[in-house]
Amino acid sequence: MSFFGVSLDRPGHSVVLTGNEAVARGAIEAGVSYAACYPGSPTAEVLPTLARLGDRFNIYTEYSTNEKVAIEGAAAASFAGLRSLTICKADGFNVALDFATAICLSGSVGGMVIMVGDDPAAHSSVKEEDSRFLARTANLPVLEPATVDEAKEITKSAFDLSEKLALPVVVRCTTRICHASGDVCLGELPQMVKQASLSRDQKSITSALFASFTKNKLKKAAALAENSPFNFYTGPENAKRLVVASGPSYTYTAEALEILELAGSVGVLKLSTTWPLPEELILKHLKTAGEVIFAEEVDSFLEDGVMTLAARHWEDVGLIKFYGKNSGDVAGPGGPFVGELNPDIMTGCLGKVFGVSYTPPEIPNIQEARGLIKNNLPGRELALCAGCPHRASYWALKTAVELDGRDVIVLGDIGCYTLGLRSTGYNVLQTVHCMGAGVGMASGLGKLDRFNFRQPVISVVGDSTFFHSVPQALINARYNQSELLCVVLDNETTAMTGHQPHPGRGVNAAGLQVGRVEIESVLTGIGIPVTVHDPYDVEGTTRVIFRLLQEKGPRALILRRACALVSVKGKKKDRVYVDQELCIGDSCGCARFCSRVFACPANIWDNEKGKAHIDEAVCIGCGVCASLCPQKAIVVERTV
Amino acid sequence: MPGQEQLKSSVIDKDLCSGCGMCLGLCPYIKTVLDRVRVIHPCGINEGTCYKICPKTSLDISWLDQLVFSQPRRDQALGVYRSINFARACNKSAGAQYGGVASALMAFAIDRGLIGGVVLTGGTALDPKPVLAKTGHEVLSCAGSKYTAVPTLAALNQAVRTSAERIGLVGRPCQIQAVRKMQHVNYMEEYLNSGKSVQLTLGLFCFWSLKSGFYDYLAQKACGEEVLKVDIPVEGLTVTTSGGVSTWPVDEIRHYIKDACISCTDCTSEWADLSVGSTEYDSEWNALLVRTAAGDDLVNLAVKEGVVEVRPYPEERLPILRKAVLNKKMRILDESGEVVWDYLKVPGEYMAEIRKQWEVLQ
Repeated sequence: MSFFGVSLDRPGHSVVLTGNEAVARGAIEAGVSYAACYPGSPTAEVLPTLARLGDRFNIYTEYSTNEKVAIEGAAAASFAGLRSLTICKADGFNVALDFATAICLSGSVGGMVIMVGDDPAAHSSVKEEDSRFLARTANLPVLEPATVDEAKEITKSAFDLSEKLALPVVVRCTTRICHASGDVCLGELPQMVKQASLSRDQKSITSALFASFTKNKLKKAAALAENSPFNFYTGPENAKRLVVASGPSYTYTAEALEILELAGSVGVLKLSTTWPLPEELILKHLKTAGEVIFAEEVDSFLEDGVMTLAARHWEDVGLIKFYGKNSGDVAGPGGPFVGELNPDIMTGCLGKVFGVSYTPPEIPNIQEARGLIKNNLPGRELALCAGCPHRASYWALKTAVELDGRDVIVLGDIGCYTLGLRSTGYNVLQTVHCMGAGVGMASGLGKLDRFNFRQPVISVVGDSTFFHSVPQALINARYNQSELLCVVLDNETTAMTGHQPHPGRGVNAAGLQVGRVEIESVLTGIGIPVTVHDPYDVEGTTRVIFRLLQEKGPRALILRRACALVSVKGKKKDRVYVDQELCIGDSCGCARFCSRVFACPANIWDNEKGKAHIDEAVCIGCGVCASLCPQKAIVVERTV
Repeated sequence: MPGQEQLKSSVIDKDLCSGCGMCLGLCPYIKTVLDRVRVIHPCGINEGTCYKICPKTSLDISWLDQLVFSQPRRDQALGVYRSINFARACNKSAGAQYGGVASALMAFAIDRGLIGGVVLTGGTALDPKPVLAKTGHEVLSCAGSKYTAVPTLAALNQAVRTSAERIGLVGRPCQIQAVRKMQHVNYMEEYLNSGKSVQLTLGLFCFWSLKSGFYDYLAQKACGEEVLKVDIPVEGLTVTTSGGVSTWPVDEIRHYIKDACISCTDCTSEWADLSVGSTEYDSEWNALLVRTAAGDDLVNLAVKEGVVEVRPYPEERLPILRKAVLNKKMRILDESGEVVWDYLKVPGEYMAEIRKQWEVLQ
């Protein structure tokens, strides 16, 4: 992370920042005082950037236990007159939505910005979701940057807009904005005195009676959008062919039109205020257009809005043919509502709609290169890291479930351990939905005995997920005496999104020691008996799980072992190697268990010798494979 | 020869597994808990050692007689043996069952350096587990019958990888069968010594073993008191706890009998070097069958050194033992006189003799 660039006090200079850093810089320039998030990709880097600079710019930063708590804290800061920022991913905005749909009615005071990261193609999510629909449901205006530079400018201006409207503003970024790097022109750093104040007379109340005030605020937002510098038109006057674009799809469109040599004849209306829409600006261009094509990700939000607008003004705009996701004309290889757009896809779509033949240029020697790759690149599955404690946990779970023999149902959740759905987790998991869902579902399954459902139920959750949304479901299970075993895979960090701390770590966003919130204490407090075990002891773990499966009522097991990526840092690791005498290769009944089935990336097969081998560069020295080798051919050489 | 898949379908899934433990530890795919043995993951190997050595995939009685004794049996009840006696330890260890002969002989064999260790079932009555004992003292501390099916042979597979070369075994009849089959699997010898390394087998009398649910039953019967010893003589289940001795009718525990044990015809560990059991007559003594030269040598030495004492098996008691065994053997026949269980290979002449010898005793 470029803390230097983000904090540089040289207005007018350009620095290269990522989109997430640009958002952080924009918030700093706007004088943000309070920033809170539950980490989620693609926006995970915003908060740590602010946290690192928190002392310098007097910003309070926190990792909240979940997005709802984060937005509530940020709203409180706004209520006290401070500028506040909440950062989440689309899924996180769902969690925050209950509060978000309420605050539009009470309104905000200090500028309040909600940065939401949508993840087209679901690179690091379980689903693609278009949060613009949620913002509209919550009556919150949406701003969408199309470039990294715009991400900073829009974030900064969103605070002003929020204060003008007395309404939180959503800045909707996509993965390609968050993770891309680009030139960002620095603005002035704030010289303001940040003072929180709240009088006894102030109120922040939600009431259905206030709906008309909210709608008036949105009318004002639409009026301001008409002159937003982030909406602009390029192309010929009175264009017959018009592309309406938002987000990075705008830059893809610009590139595509150049490739197709249509830049001079096709107009492009780039919109950042995608809700509420600048209706006059759009109508002005619709009146001359005969064909309109939409470029946006994930869903047809802009498209639906513009088409509705056109329908309302059909007498003025006349006949227009619309091309977009609904017509199927703007679509990637997966279909119109699946995956990302890119310059190639947009060039293909625009070429087809506008009747310009386009053949992608042949990459030199591509066929030859493909031929060379074909048989030489091994197929690679998504896999848990070498030494990952989850792998050991899953092997123990699988073993215990098979030993139990009652078709134990195992429900999954969100985290690295979601990979338990795949072969790297021995296909143990059967469900994945959203944070905490596995426990809620397990609580439901655990009450189906009167319908002859007698199979034991296990719910697997991570430690960070536990704090995010598990206690509520467990309280429910305890209260309603549901038959379930909750297994907490506690790797003592929020591993998936980049090892952010959580309450169980006892370290806060600023890096201060604050004492651990112990998962076992929470469980005990709820009244659920808890066992703690080390997953690296696979045999012991198997026995514990088997024993707990035979017990009744809600119960919990914490499998605690630090994430291998964290534990190996700065330490001399144990050396693990295969004793070439003891390993009997394919003569063993294991059928290459370590490299083929257990399949830790460090366990490899030496084709020449026909024996197992350990890739010592990858191995972290956990020794779990050694405990599972039936020949006891894997040796762990302790370094201490 | 088939492998794991057939072991699962023809033995484990049909509840024919007696939990001997011979297949455990050969690969990472067959695992155990309590008395349970399960395939947890397909190994993908077509031909498996697990299938070859399992006593329930096939058990050819006359072939085993030839393998171990190089002769067919004349006594269809007790199999091939050199002598049958009453025996008891001269210094009986605490917890030992009846005469304490099994523990005394094996501890003696270790102390005299005849074997390097003994695989046997240790732990407590409520929590029995496989043990590799390396000293006579350790053997004696495992004394006392465990009536649940503990997969003791898992410890044997482990032992041959870690230490002992000459191993003794105290096991149930199915465990002796498994070790004999393992000893025969020649191709294994290059890599696995589980069979070869067994130098001395002491088999126990066993009419059936119990499922692990028996533990819960036992704990419930003990009402929180420590279970010191369990015995199942003819008169019923006898449990010694810290509070005293109680007896319950055998019928109460009948449904804990493992399904696998119902098809078993071997009540006296017919292919062991020595077989030891209850006399059902005198609780101070054990029944001791000496079957092989190795068994004979050990008993003679132990008698000479004053470790055990023996006396002739009372003439009038022998028919009672033989009748009990033959009754169980007759139960595996269907109405037409055929053996019900596919895996059991009983030659026609043996079958005819079983019937004949049984009728004599009626």
